[in-house]
This record gives sequence, structure tokens and C-alpha cells, in this order.
Amino acid sequence: MPTEDLATRLRAAAPETTATVEPLPGTDGRLRFPPDQALAVFRACQGVLGYRHLSMVGGIDWVDHREVFYLVWSDETRRYLMLSSDLPLPAPHIESATAVWPSANYHERETWEMVGIGFDHHPDLRHLLMPDGYQFNPLLRSFKLHEPEELEVKVRHV
Amino acid sequence: MSAAPSSVAPTAAPAPPDIPVIDAPSVPFVEIEALRAEQFIPAAKEALTSLLAEQAQGKLIRPVFNWAGRNSLFPLHWGLACCAIEFASMFSARHDAERFGVVPRSSPRQCDLMIVNGTVTWKVAHKLITLYEQMPEPKWVIAMGNCATGGGPFRTAYSVVPGVDKLVPVDVYIAGCPPRPEALLDGILTLEALIRERGE
Repeated sequence: MPTEDLATRLRAAAPETTATVEPLPGTDGRLRFPPDQALAVFRACQGVLGYRHLSMVGGIDWVDHREVFYLVWSDETRRYLMLSSDLPLPAPHIESATAVWPSANYHERETWEMVGIGFDHHPDLRHLLMPDGYQFNPLLRSFKLHEPEELEVKVRHV
Repeated sequence: MSAAPSSVAPTAAPAPPDIPVIDAPSVPFVEIEALRAEQFIPAAKEALTSLLAEQAQGKLIRPVFNWAGRNSLFPLHWGLACCAIEFASMFSARHDAERFGVVPRSSPRQCDLMIVNGTVTWKVAHKLITLYEQMPEPKWVIAMGNCATGGGPFRTAYSVVPGVDKLVPVDVYIAGCPPRPEALLDGILTLEALIRERGE
């Protein structure tokens, strides 16, 4: 689907959104939206635009802000679409996509744990790869490789 | 029967000079054949719980248990990373660890040896401690490979325990990435020698 058509169809499906679509090679495009319009964009993409499958969720630490992105897949056109949103510091957070794509659950837990992006109304936001009580976000650029002794966490929790 | 019960009253056994006597372990060794059946069981119980029996246990039974235990080390059958492949091939026909009595068991309650074969992450750390605590005493731990020994190439990573000896006491370390099955067999034989030396 050409990017102009995509932008037009998104506006028709969700008139309140101010999302913009820019070309991204190999996909239908890269849809950038403000974080407060997240749920409307998710619903429009999953419903009218037909991107039924959420392939991955990830986060990027741009030091002055953070970015969250979603890669969604359409079975009809067999094409990917990337959704991305810039989240301001401090306390970057966005609405959870689990109400629209249930498979976002684990991906958002990982993104929350590794990049420190909060997901509002997530049903089960807890550690995925790290033990409970882990106090770092290892994929942030401010995270340095530590001496092993500094990284000891409380592993014995009753 | 002319032997009255008073004639089999416990008399103090002559203690050997090197054995200290605590509260006169009065075991009627001499007259034990003269005891009637209902008198025999309490006397045998007293003999078993006396100081002499304890020393007999220490000098006779413990070496037998040590010999049996060190020649039938049952490791826990679990694998954490690529070292588990070498661990598995140690039980194959070429290396045949069963000739040393090493048989992997699937339950920690049947094991006396834990071979930590692979990278230990902080996420799996308290599971490892739980498995170790479920094993009955006496128990031993072998840290197999560089990761279990000191974190290996992931030592400074954010998710890896830098050496399993931070979690459980380790008896034998085996270097290698991964160690060959011969090295693991050598580690097990080292542990057998260690158990014999300690007399556990």
C-alpha cells in the first residue's frame, strides 16, 4: 500500500490522530504518532488497515528522549508496517497495546525491563528476563559494564 | 533356669585405655548369650547407642559408606548450556561414565552430586539454590566449564552470575569452554579422591 493511501485511510479510520507516514524500505512505511494517540492508532491499524499480527515491540534510548516502536504484519497484503512514537523524559510511558494485540504482553514486559519505558494499563508488567528486584535497565546508554560485584542483586526472595 | 535376673545385672565392661568412658557404657557383652529373648532387645539397643557403638560406627561403618558413596556419585541430570552436551556425551558408549558408578538421576532427592554445566544467570540462580538444597547430605558440587567457574566470557554481563561459587559451595572446578568429556571424567575422579581424603 502506498504511503499516501495509508495516511488517508488512517485519517478516515481515526480522524483525531495526527500521525504521519514516511517511507521505510521493505515495509509499508513508518507511521509516527504522538504517544497520547496510541490507542486510537493501534485500533485503526489492527481493525481497518488490517495489520492483525504484532510482530515485535522494541525501544531505543536516544539519550534526550526514548522511542518505542511496533512492527505489525498484515496477512492480506503480506507487508509489514512500523509504528513508532517519541516519548519525552523523564518517565517515558505509553498506553499498552495488549488490549489490541494480546501478543504485546511479553514484548512490552521486555521493553519495560530493558529500556525503561512504562506501559500504562498493562495487565502483568513485571520482570521477564531478569529476577524480581533487579534495579537496572541494561539497554540504556547510561548503563555501564559493571564489575561483577557491583551487579549482585538479591536473588533469594522468599 | 537357675540364672536369676539379678545375675545378669549390667556390669561395667573393662574399658580399653584409649577410649574415654562416658557414664559407664554398661554393655553386658559377656552375658548376652544368657539373656532371655525379652531381655535381649533392650540390651542390644543399649549396645548400639553406647559409646563403643559410636566408635565402631566411626571406624567401621563410615569408611564403608565413604567407599560406597564415592564410587556411586549420582549427578543431577540437568543442563544449563553447551557444557550439557559434553555432560551428555560423557555417558555415551565411548566414555561410559557408568563404569565409575556415575549415573544421572532426574530428581535432586536421589542425587549427591550437582554438576553445574553452563552459564548461570541471575534468573536461574535461586532455582539452582533450591535444587541444591533439595539434595540430601552429603552432597558435592562440580563447576564445569569457564562460565560456571567464573562467568566465562559473560563475566561483566548484566545478567550472568560471575561464578557459581557465589551461590553454592564448589568442590571441583573444571576449566574449558566447554571441557571435553575426558576432562569431566577427570574432575569426577578428582572429586572421588577428595571425598576419600576428607573421609566424609
